[in-house]
Amino acid sequence: MTPSLHFRPLRPAVAADGATRLDLLITVRSPEPPAASTKERPGLNLALVIDRSGSMAGSKLSHARKAARFLAGELTERDRLAIVTFDEEVNVLVPSQPVRDPLLFISAINTIDSGGCTALFDGWLAGATEVANQLDPQGLNRVLLLSDGQANEGLTDAGAIAAKVEGLTQRSISTSAFGLGSGFDEDLMGAVAAAGDGTLAQIESPKQLAVLYASELQGLASTVGRKVSLEISAKHDAGLVHVLNDLPQISAGNYQLPNLRYGQELGVGLRLQLPSWMPNQTIATVRLAWDAPDAEGRQELIEQLTLPVKPQAELAGLDVDPAVAEQLALLQANRERRLAIQELDRGDLLAALASLAAIDASLAALPQSEGVQRERRLLAEKQALMQQDRNLSRKRLRNESLRSSLNVWEGGDDNG
Amino acid sequence: MADPSLLSLAAADGSPALYGLDELLAMAGERLGQEITPRTVRLYATEGLIDRPGKDGRRSVYGQRHLLQLLLIRSLARRGLSLTAIAPLAACSDGELLEQLLQLEEPSLHQVNHEPKEASSSQQQEALAYLHSLQSERSPSLLPLLGSPLSSSSTSPSPRRSLSSRSAGRSSAASSRWHRFSLAPGVELHLSESTSFPPAGSRREAWLQRLLERLREQLDSES
Repeated sequence: MTPSLHFRPLRPAVAADGATRLDLLITVRSPEPPAASTKERPGLNLALVIDRSGSMAGSKLSHARKAARFLAGELTERDRLAIVTFDEEVNVLVPSQPVRDPLLFISAINTIDSGGCTALFDGWLAGATEVANQLDPQGLNRVLLLSDGQANEGLTDAGAIAAKVEGLTQRSISTSAFGLGSGFDEDLMGAVAAAGDGTLAQIESPKQLAVLYASELQGLASTVGRKVSLEISAKHDAGLVHVLNDLPQISAGNYQLPNLRYGQELGVGLRLQLPSWMPNQTIATVRLAWDAPDAEGRQELIEQLTLPVKPQAELAGLDVDPAVAEQLALLQANRERRLAIQELDRGDLLAALASLAAIDASLAALPQSEGVQRERRLLAEKQALMQQDRNLSRKRLRNESLRSSLNVWEGGDDNG
Repeated sequence: MADPSLLSLAAADGSPALYGLDELLAMAGERLGQEITPRTVRLYATEGLIDRPGKDGRRSVYGQRHLLQLLLIRSLARRGLSLTAIAPLAACSDGELLEQLLQLEEPSLHQVNHEPKEASSSQQQEALAYLHSLQSERSPSLLPLLGSPLSSSSTSPSPRRSLSSRSAGRSSAASSRWHRFSLAPGVELHLSESTSFPPAGSRREAWLQRLLERLREQLDSES
């Protein structure tokens, strides 16, 4: 019932008589869920932090209330919930308590109306304090931050906010960031979710909120590992050239992975540079570490990478593993979206369009599997959107670019 | 199920039963199994959570509605709701007040929320200490915006709501701290730092309206 690590090289050998550029996919496979109802999910300790700034007025806030009522209805008395609202001021509407009587939460939620500015950090801080007051080291402790705006009151710098969120992650409270509509700061929300070891979601319609909360609850319930790290140490004279995923780096060679959930598989693409290699010589050691619910201390798994050694002349003739080639290309496509975003930020629409076209061209050269087709559809959509609605296309590109480094909710994807 | 004594509260609605403050406190206290102080009632009245009392000569008198409001506020507050959240619920019609009270009492009065507080873990303390450090390193918060708190220039941010005002200054008070707003030449408003007021919007408007009415009454009685 623990995760497993697998190595899948693009080509199944390295050279004995010359340098090798080794492209590799590491897959982290989470265990399958236990047979139905053998195990109750651990109790959740949540704070829902809702932006009630002026821009939330009207249907956004009414959907936010509705979704919050839904969330309260889904929780049981084993779970705790706090509700915090913020505009330029922060209000702990319902302090953290067990959800014995959803009605109580519902009456409180019904009183939320819209106010002024967006003191996002202070709102987060109040929600985090509610969760911390009731911290359950064995359980899942999380702040759900919903905002439709730019932080414009109190601490507003994305990097500074993320650093503070990260500090709390280290102390066992995670944060998910949900951006709503077209006015939120996607860079800030992405940074908060990454630093918070939580979920990033961008929803264009507030109607999707209830589905998002349901998926968040399900995700929390199926979490097998949090604070997951992957440490890659190249051995002998091998060197790590790059990791394709944009994973937050904890220290040199040590990367933060998203939470592990039952039945989920996570691919990390990397490139190593090797000198002439000796048979049976370890190329790299990979260590996966995580915190498991119901278990004390850090869990870990260590695997050594070794590969057959062949003469260089023979290597070129070896077939590439098509599944690995596809995964690496998809990771590359995620990463290169960042380039398009930078070009957009410079105001160079043509260059951004050209970047997307270049990503598409590299995908067009692959066998057209379902995954590749879907990716090309997303790219085509962004190319069209970029000319009509630059803001929205930037938001979606940011969201897609983060898929390989954190849990990104894609529920709103294909109907956008 | 519906509690007959609670229903009798409603039945008495039409009748002009009026109580003094002591009677009101005794009735509510008995019903809730918890003592309520005159100060609490005055606070609720100032905050606009319960209606203003009537007058019988110089004596304040309270009716059924006040009792219902007081019961509802206390019942919700001890379930952990903040006064801001309670305010709109306490402003409902008498019928709705009663309905809410019945709903609250039905699940069982004795199961009120007294969570056994588990021994807090070291992880919890660590997380709380971390968050407190973030609180205190925050820029001296909303207060400066507001008019400085008077007696001292403490950095501790008020967790409560705050106003932003154009002109505000300092004055000092012995123990509590006050915000001072200059409204016109020779006219100032002083707000205790512990006063919480509603956020901008309809509730704040209603609150200001009540303040205005009270001010008008006082001016009228002066003249």
